Amino acid sequence: MNQVLPSLRLSGRWLLALAGVFFLVGCGKKKEAVVERDNTAEVKAYYAANPNFFRFATPADLPKDLEWENGADLPEIGSPAAKKGGTFYTFLQDYPRTLRHVGPDANGSFRPWLLDDVVVQWAWRHPTKTDVGPKGFHFFSGLASEWAIDKARKTVWVRIEPNARWSDGVPITSDDMLFAFYFWRSKYIQDPWYNNFYTTNFAGITRYDSHTFSITLPEDRPDMSERVLKLYPQPAHFFKELGDDFLERYQWRVVPTPGAYTILPEDIDKGRSITLTRVKDWWAKDKKNWRYRFNPDKIRFSVIRDTPKSFEAFKKGEIDFFNLSLAEYWYDKLPDSDPLVQSGLVQKNKFYHDFPRPTFGLWMNTNRPLLDNREVRVGIQYATNWQLVIDKFARGDWQRMQTGSDGYGEFTHPTLRSRPFSIEKALESFAKAGFTTRGPDGVLVNAKGERLSFQLTTGYEALKDVLTILREEALKAGVELRIEVLDGTTAFKKLREKQHDISYTAFSVSPEMYPRYWEDSHSANAYDDAFRPDGTMNPERKLKTQTNNVTSTAIHALDQKIIAYDRSSGADEMKKLAFEMEEMLHEHAAFSPGQVVPFMRIGSWRWIGYPEDFHVKLGKNFTEWMLFWVDEEKKKETLDARRTGATFPPVIRTYEQYKQKN
Amino acid sequence: MALNPLTVKKLRRFRSIRRGYVSFLVLTGLIVLSLFGELLVNSRALAVSYEGRLHFPTYGANLPGTAFGLGYSYETNYRELKKKFAAEGSKNWVLMPPFQFNAFENTPYQNVFKPAPPSFMGGPEGHLLGTDTTGRDIFARLFFGFRVAIFFALAFMALTYVVGISVGCMMGYFGGVFDLIVQRLIEVWSNIPFLYMVIIIFSVIPSTLSIPARVGILLVVMVLFSWTSMTYYMRTATYREKARDYTSAAIVIGAGTGRIIFNHILPNTISTVVTFMPFTIVSAITAVTALDFLGFGLPAPTPSMGELLKQGTQTLTTAPWIVSSAFAALVFILTLVTFIGEAVREAFDPKKFTTYE
Repeated sequence: MNQVLPSLRLSGRWLLALAGVFFLVGCGKKKEAVVERDNTAEVKAYYAANPNFFRFATPADLPKDLEWENGADLPEIGSPAAKKGGTFYTFLQDYPRTLRHVGPDANGSFRPWLLDDVVVQWAWRHPTKTDVGPKGFHFFSGLASEWAIDKARKTVWVRIEPNARWSDGVPITSDDMLFAFYFWRSKYIQDPWYNNFYTTNFAGITRYDSHTFSITLPEDRPDMSERVLKLYPQPAHFFKELGDDFLERYQWRVVPTPGAYTILPEDIDKGRSITLTRVKDWWAKDKKNWRYRFNPDKIRFSVIRDTPKSFEAFKKGEIDFFNLSLAEYWYDKLPDSDPLVQSGLVQKNKFYHDFPRPTFGLWMNTNRPLLDNREVRVGIQYATNWQLVIDKFARGDWQRMQTGSDGYGEFTHPTLRSRPFSIEKALESFAKAGFTTRGPDGVLVNAKGERLSFQLTTGYEALKDVLTILREEALKAGVELRIEVLDGTTAFKKLREKQHDISYTAFSVSPEMYPRYWEDSHSANAYDDAFRPDGTMNPERKLKTQTNNVTSTAIHALDQKIIAYDRSSGADEMKKLAFEMEEMLHEHAAFSPGQVVPFMRIGSWRWIGYPEDFHVKLGKNFTEWMLFWVDEEKKKETLDARRTGATFPPVIRTYEQYKQKN
Repeated sequence: MALNPLTVKKLRRFRSIRRGYVSFLVLTGLIVLSLFGELLVNSRALAVSYEGRLHFPTYGANLPGTAFGLGYSYETNYRELKKKFAAEGSKNWVLMPPFQFNAFENTPYQNVFKPAPPSFMGGPEGHLLGTDTTGRDIFARLFFGFRVAIFFALAFMALTYVVGISVGCMMGYFGGVFDLIVQRLIEVWSNIPFLYMVIIIFSVIPSTLSIPARVGILLVVMVLFSWTSMTYYMRTATYREKARDYTSAAIVIGAGTGRIIFNHILPNTISTVVTFMPFTIVSAITAVTALDFLGFGLPAPTPSMGELLKQGTQTLTTAPWIVSSAFAALVFILTLVTFIGEAVREAFDPKKFTTYE
């Protein structure tokens, strides 16, 4: 789980300076860096030292009873009408601080273009056929030509596409996957999350031959196949020089990719622009589910820090598309009546998607005074007027979030509803907590003279108007919310240090099969020694920081359910537990569910092509899945038309095929 | 208090410079008006007569709707109360201030929170300059933003001058090693970038502090990094005055250092200081506006011109009235202060009144 916006800016301003220092160091050491290093022996020794994890077998050892599959019968992604070629122009708010995929600063807003949206995994969850089948999600083939799952043996076998190659032409083999585990577990990459994840979540990898391997998991879970198939290899030949100086040595080196786009060294113009180039004769260019995607020859990013400025650049045609999701842009800045839209030069599309929702809402820290009282929290829930935000700020386009895990399909509680705004009910709850009289400023006061006043922190500058609306409404119910708008990184830091009273924030969730509870609701992430052996609260418990349990929730009965849920292998049992836990969390009332933005709204110039149905069900943003293309002929025609004043029929469409009933 | 005849002459000269003097009157008038801002620009009524009893809600505690027979326990909406009384035709009445919106309330326009144009451009009634992006009245925000900014600037000026003048006079009076060391310290200190310091300090101060405390910290930080420029002028002026006979005479009589500096030297150097004052105010208003514009100034939702300017630049095409009112207000105030400054400088010009040299 990452925090939505701040994760894009994970590294604060001072880190920029630090990156600069690294860069300078890198320059200074350029001559030294020529010193060749070859870690082959070190890697081999590591494999030998962990014989239970890295196992070597022969093709003859492959079990005979495996059921191989390749997802070939799934519907194709993308449109056959897609045209290859052209340059797609877009922008970045911040120049990438590194081209590494891991380590400090790597988790920035440019990483999707280096890794997440471009890499080819062994197989991919189908983004439109998203139901849960008997073997888990439906996968289509990526780097794997076929795979086999055996739940009894807790193992997934993979056969690699024989012609799969890195962007530098080197074939992709099983050794690259073995190396990937070495790489992710290595201290050199200075990334504890990777170190921990790839140590605790996998039980072993077996190499059968250069193009066959298997991965074993510690336990059988409903999403077992997903855990293995969404892995991807690392180029062992490229990381031969991996060592203590990894950060400096690889800071600006382009990692070879199995994907369609790479970066040519001459296209890195630091601080100004960066360009992706389509790999020549890409190995997957004719493969099903890949052939109609990754269409433009080049994707060029210019740095434009200011959003209003980038919008102007879009209106001038220097940028090909713009995210119009905010009501202000969709209705006021580029209304349907705008000449650009009416002349058909710019098209407006509204697409409803469906995936686990970022958890926008108020996260109350139950470790703070007054907020440790459930009645106060319930009162705050009733005192937050989300409906007004949705109606008046988002102009009725957003939806109310109902639980902390909306959008998980069958795993989302079907009937639970979040608490509506109600001054009477809020006052009733506050009265139960002892807050019965209003002070001279209208804020409730209890017998001890404590005011019902809390700091409300956010890192979302763009959404601060939401908070001023909530504040004015909450005052009517006698609770004061003192707004604090911080820079994204600072807000996230404050949250992780559990220094907040109430935080308006969201954790983004990848489209996983089922919600996670351990991270944000288990007591182990709230306190050290939360409970005494008999299950009652330990008065000497110590607050635990740097975890995602930002509500400091610690409920003994809930802990038991979370453990059972995390060990369960049956989807039905997990659903039952998930619903029960969701109800407990609703009762606990530490998270006030906020808004769901169920759509993307995109403005694009006429020369940008997209499939008939616009996007896939799991499509989070316009460029994810790379379905769009650039039509050079139309571009010329459109630019001519703009000069001569010729017009085309306007295109303003809404796609509701994946819209959920609220 | 009898004024020095020279000062009287200077003041008379100041009054004779019409542009500066008028600006001074206007600005003073505005400041005095802003002190009673709650009576002019407010969503609370000036007076309510309900069932024979008079209420004056402006400065008192928040009166719940139930006090006037309304069905809610939160603060009364006096505009609606007025309409209600009028519709009922009862003897009850509400007297509203001339401008009926406060700086914080969000009023929807066309049923959503978005900028509404000024009333003279066809916008909703009562919003003289329209509303900002969340439907808050721009006139009210400018008015109270002005009050915050001008008092902030006055306090800033007073503090920087107290520190700057004291240190500068001491440097000039003591001279020698003391002067040398303090000069070097000031050089080092004044090279610390002010803006970065504000950003750093604001990222570490605990957010639990109240808004006045945060404003106070901002003031202290700004003063800490601004007093240095004053010291140079005072240092040279004091050096000059120290060599004069009256200073020697004071020393001979046995006056203390503090008395010599503040009673004898300072009045003779004050004209330098006075001419700088308006420009310090201009720079303080500009600085606090710039900081707000960058998002490091007065904490939200404090009304501020900088915050309005920022909103305005983001909505240049869709709500040009935001940026134009904020810009016009800022230019108006800064021009007033500058005119005053010019007149003061002319009136206090030492060349015109120095009797020896």
